[in-house]
Amino acid sequence: MHTAWKHIRRSPYQALTAVFIMTLTFFVATVLVVLAYGTSTVLRYYETRPQVIAYLKADVTPSDVSSLQVKLESDSRVEGVKYVSKEQALDIYKQATSSNPLLAEFVSPKIFPASLEFSVRDLAFAQEVISQLGEEATIEEVAFTANLGDSKNLNQVVERLSSVANYVRIGGAVVLGFLLASSFLVLLIIIGMRISSRREEIEILQLIGATSGFIRSPFILEGMFYVVVGSVVGWLLTLLLTLYVSPSLISFFQGVPFLPQDLFSLLELFGVVLAGEFLLAIILGALGSLIAIKRYLKI
Amino acid sequence: MIKFENVTKKFGSTVALEDISFEIEKGEFVFLTGHSGSGKTTLIRLLLRELSPTSGKILIEGKELGMVRKHELPFYRRKVGVVFQDFKLLSNMTVYENVRLACEIDGHVSDVEEKKIQEVLHEVGMTAKQGLFPRQLSGGETQRAVIARVLVMQPKVILADEPTGNLDPQTARQIIDLLEKASEGETTVLVATHNALIVNDLKRRVIQLKEGKLVGDCKKGKYID
Repeated sequence: MHTAWKHIRRSPYQALTAVFIMTLTFFVATVLVVLAYGTSTVLRYYETRPQVIAYLKADVTPSDVSSLQVKLESDSRVEGVKYVSKEQALDIYKQATSSNPLLAEFVSPKIFPASLEFSVRDLAFAQEVISQLGEEATIEEVAFTANLGDSKNLNQVVERLSSVANYVRIGGAVVLGFLLASSFLVLLIIIGMRISSRREEIEILQLIGATSGFIRSPFILEGMFYVVVGSVVGWLLTLLLTLYVSPSLISFFQGVPFLPQDLFSLLELFGVVLAGEFLLAIILGALGSLIAIKRYLKI
Repeated sequence: MIKFENVTKKFGSTVALEDISFEIEKGEFVFLTGHSGSGKTTLIRLLLRELSPTSGKILIEGKELGMVRKHELPFYRRKVGVVFQDFKLLSNMTVYENVRLACEIDGHVSDVEEKKIQEVLHEVGMTAKQGLFPRQLSGGETQRAVIARVLVMQPKVILADEPTGNLDPQTARQIIDLLEKASEGETTVLVATHNALIVNDLKRRVIQLKEGKLVGDCKKGKYID
């Protein structure tokens, strides 16, 4: 460890270059992980919130409602079935128009239909469930609440969200792949240069009986140091950036939980990311250094 | 201790050593003499297992050197201290750190070893200069530091390849005296040199090489030009 630290101090510009490249890689990696997490969370949010509202006809009896509710609850594609009465519907309307109370003043519960709200376990089932429900005699109309931009039906919503998530994952993986590959090459070159500049030292160490492990370990530790420091700095920069932009993100997504809303959950998420990146950094550093040693250090 | 049995070493078509046979006993102090290109350094490098003989056998303590496996080589080299004309100290380490390094490669440096380092530095007269870097030392001081690094390893064999090559006669003699002192125990010392003054003065065993062939081996020998 002491020898590795000496090596780093002796060529500070090489060390700085290595740390800078690693920081850049892990900064982008952390941003991509956070984006992937955010898109998955948004997708899950739309999948699990009550997306389907089945408005009941005005003349349905409580027993009709009850039997339809039982039927829906027994359906494996459906979850969270909830009956919303006319009065509850009025309350929801009042809450939605709270900024303009006059709108709610002249309406009575009679004009609001009672409804059954539920979500589907997977958005892929939604269209099928809606079609079947529309054929029920007690149902006036079926609506869905999940809506993005100009989407016309649930299939479009699912497709849009899935494609966004896929773009983030695939695009992110490609960008990350390139960055990891270039970081790996930079590490190989720097460790290779370190080995070349210490040929004489290595020869002396061999002559006085140093084992190959003793000679190699400072180079391995040095490589790991660059990647680990780069990963921590990159992670820290992303955390600071996220903390800075999260008020804007929360306002932009208007209640859709793109990122954890409270600081503790956010730090928990970043803690998990740090643990993963730390492990990746150790593996990348050790592997890069070992390959450089195998290539340049013939002992 | 050291036994050469019909050792030949060729580099391509060039014969560096040809059919060399001799034996050196434990604790013996031997000069290896000959002109430049006579094969002295090749013989030292064979003993360090930096090179392997083209034919013949080299035995150390009865064990054939060719049978030492690659992973056993560092442990073998810890028993063989080596002193070079160009010193080979680590330039970024102080004298103390260079000597300590020899202990470090053997594992943890205990208090006993720390004491041994100081004893050895005292023995070679480098206690006061242990904090200096090699570039701050004279040739003689640097060679003393190298000898300290060798002695701290308590080797069974010390190989010295032209250890006085860059030194003035007085300093050269001091270095040889240190090596001679090391052989007073059970350490075998083989000094490759063409310093006739020292060889003739010490009257120790001389193995002489000429154009890769052993041309002389005599107790209390003299340097023959």
